[in-house]
Amino acid sequence: MSALKRVQQWATFARVWHIYDASWQNPFKSAELLKKYLMGLHKPIYHPMNDCGDHVIVINSGDIALPGDEWKRRVYFHHTGYPGGATWTLAWELHSKDPTMVLRKAVYNSMDGNLQRRYTMERLHLFPDANVPTNLLKNVSNQIQQLKAKPKRLDHYSENQVKQFPKIFDYPKDYILK
Amino acid sequence: MLLNMNMIVPLGILRNVLFQSKFPIRSMRIFPRLQLKEIREVQNEKELVIYGEIVPSERANILLKNTHPQACPLCASGLDVKHTDILIISQFVRSDGCMLPRRITGLCRTQQKRMSSLVTMAQKAGLMPNLNPANSKKDPKKRFQWKKFNKYFDESTIKS
Ligand SMILES: [Zn+2]
Repeated sequence: MSALKRVQQWATFARVWHIYDASWQNPFKSAELLKKYLMGLHKPIYHPMNDCGDHVIVINSGDIALPGDEWKRRVYFHHTGYPGGATWTLAWELHSKDPTMVLRKAVYNSMDGNLQRRYTMERLHLFPDANVPTNLLKNVSNQIQQLKAKPKRLDHYSENQVKQFPKIFDYPKDYILK
Repeated sequence: MLLNMNMIVPLGILRNVLFQSKFPIRSMRIFPRLQLKEIREVQNEKELVIYGEIVPSERANILLKNTHPQACPLCASGLDVKHTDILIISQFVRSDGCMLPRRITGLCRTQQKRMSSLVTMAQKAGLMPNLNPANSKKDPKKRFQWKKFNKYFDESTIKS
């Protein structure tokens, strides 16, 4: 085997590390995206029997966004197995307890239940904020693009930007500014 | 004006008399003068002075040109405003976050309703925390229970 072919072989089967910023992203739409990288579905060599999944570091999982009032509508069910052991936890309650759990469960539930699922989940590294250990961060060689743009708050624009932005209408002449 | 009922007054003269009599009344104003005003409060020693100051409109120079004067300014602009377009939405809001009425915005009925929905969405998403009543906590992360987490909205859910 030539040196080129050997390096190509290493590069093909090497695990790539990706990073994904989850701030203002829908966790369930993000899960469909992340699972492709975790399972290696984006690779031409993919096969269910071929262990070719990549690692994904997700930062800012505490800043995920849900549409409308889904924070208080989505319910997570758990049963301890004992009589009366059923609990229903709202998404916002789960998120206040563990800011990575909503996204972790979303990724877990997006994949089929088979023997590989637990090992695939091991390759997902979730962090509630941007503090990632440097020994993980130095592996990263790719950033996964966000699904939607992060909205900018009005108080994060400079005062001049707000003032100079074109205005749709002018105040009537007898208006008292407030 | 008293008119002698016995006098025969030609109709044209009567109309002139009534028409002209309208104008002297207007010289005395009981309504505020038609100019943009700002209420200022100055706290001196032992006294609080509140006065209205006449100010020029800051918007006059940067106003979007209405190319279809028969339509309302938002319809005429042809913009598809989303709830994250905060620089546009904040123009329709007072400094305490309250929506301006249609008399002031000059929007048509449909756009006014849509804009008030967009304002609500932007406020719930915490995108205008500086335009809020004085007693508000300002920081969206300090809100109560589920309200402290990020949320976004779908504009197609607005009924119009
Ligand atoms: Zn209109």
